[in-house]
Amino acid sequence: MDFKNFSLNISQTKVIRFVEELAAGRIMATICKKCMKRYYPPQADCPACWESDMEWKQIGSEGKLLTFTKIHVPPEHFVVRQPLMPFSSVQFEPCPIGILEVEDGLRIMGWMPKIDLKKIRIGMKLKASPQILPDSKVTILFEKV
Amino acid sequence: MEKVAIVGIGHGKFGVRSDASLRELIFEAVKACLEDSGLALKEVDSMVTGVAGDEFAFNVQPSAQVHDYIGFYPKPNFRVEGACATGSVALRTGWMNIVSGLADVVLVVGVEKMTEVSTSMATEIMGRAGDAIWEYPFGTTFPGYYAMIANAHMAEFGTTEEQMAMVAVKNHYYGNLNPFAHMQKEITLDKALTSFTVAYPLKLYDCSLITDGAAALLLASEERAKAISKKPVWIAGLGLATDTIRLSDREKLTSLLATRVAAKAAYKMAGVGPADIDMATVHDCFTIAEIVAYEDLGFCERGEGGKLIEAKETYLDGRIPVNVDGGLKAKGHPLGATGVSMAIEITKQLRGEAGERQVKNPEIGLTHNVGGSGQIALVHIFRRE
Repeated sequence: MDFKNFSLNISQTKVIRFVEELAAGRIMATICKKCMKRYYPPQADCPACWESDMEWKQIGSEGKLLTFTKIHVPPEHFVVRQPLMPFSSVQFEPCPIGILEVEDGLRIMGWMPKIDLKKIRIGMKLKASPQILPDSKVTILFEKV
Repeated sequence: MEKVAIVGIGHGKFGVRSDASLRELIFEAVKACLEDSGLALKEVDSMVTGVAGDEFAFNVQPSAQVHDYIGFYPKPNFRVEGACATGSVALRTGWMNIVSGLADVVLVVGVEKMTEVSTSMATEIMGRAGDAIWEYPFGTTFPGYYAMIANAHMAEFGTTEEQMAMVAVKNHYYGNLNPFAHMQKEITLDKALTSFTVAYPLKLYDCSLITDGAAALLLASEERAKAISKKPVWIAGLGLATDTIRLSDREKLTSLLATRVAAKAAYKMAGVGPADIDMATVHDCFTIAEIVAYEDLGFCERGEGGKLIEAKETYLDGRIPVNVDGGLKAKGHPLGATGVSMAIEITKQLRGEAGERQVKNPEIGLTHNVGGSGQIALVHIFRRE
């Protein structure tokens, strides 16, 4: 699968497996086999010990919300409906996004389409899940546990 | 170490400059800068050009546009970049040019021509200044990143939307007194609080402006500075620090590590502390950013930034006047020009040439310029003597 289905802008990376796993329903991190440091988003290289021998591992997806916002003035990708623009065929109405802290302090960004902005509280427990959109793009949603 | 001073300042009119291209904006600023210093361009040894984005105005290799249009070739000129802190990176590079002995007189220019593209395109370009691979796919924008900082600050310290709006009211008040500012109108607290939401909780008047503009500085070595200027303004301290590309990975979401580390370095080099600063220009790309800057620069305790603006301590007659030129909020934020414009304001204030915005007899001024949502920050300290 093209990495662009997640990233929107780039195809070429050593961690292309991330998008394939996401499409199969798993959010993956990488772990350095030498020093065991975990990386989300996944990295192909470990700057802690300067090795590049990494292992893939699914990460626990429940965590607490660190912060959030709801962007009403979106960037062009999300506002212009054109066939060549990824996401433009998907009606993501202004929708809250946030940062979730899951196991080992890893932080995941995701959309919260089903949670009312007024009911969002920093510190609340949420679960991150992969989501395949109708235009075959893949992303991450947060839902109540 | 060689002492370096600002000996010339030139500020172009900031705004929607649909009348001028990038190179034409630079010409205005450089002309004003040379006039202020009394020097001719042929007396300048070297030049540094600060431009943040390549995509706003189809300007890959912007430095060449500049040295060609003002007739500076074949002397040295190159472009530097540090997102919204580009102008301060240019100033630091100019300082390095002189301290290294490569040059005695250096022209530092900063420019951004942002309104050639649509607002949504400009929003996209700036949004990519975060992590374009891992965060941008969630529709992140610049206001979005600072909105997440604001929500975290409100939850941790009880900072309010009213306190953020008070920053906007102050900066618009002073922008109205600055002829180079993009927005020259005062606003009321009510108007700020009832403007439309850009990224919750930030509203229109919490956000700085998409602006075209250029600014130029002339730097000189100690010997040359004393010969050129009656009122040289000395660069006494410099600090630059960096942080993670993703906001998600920050140690704290309510403070910028890069600001704290850069400030520590600049204070140490200048041999001063926060209490010695007579006035400052800080990076108010959003109102919450000014509140966080008060805390990170040590102008108040952690979490007390909202109370500092509420007590009007950052007005002209307050304990520490901040952004009395209108700030990015009202003066506008042409990315590459902003850091240079900040240093121009401090120079005017230390020379005693700020007119009705003049701080009473200041001796030490500080600039604070942030790139992106804190991936880079620069703090510079300036002295009159």
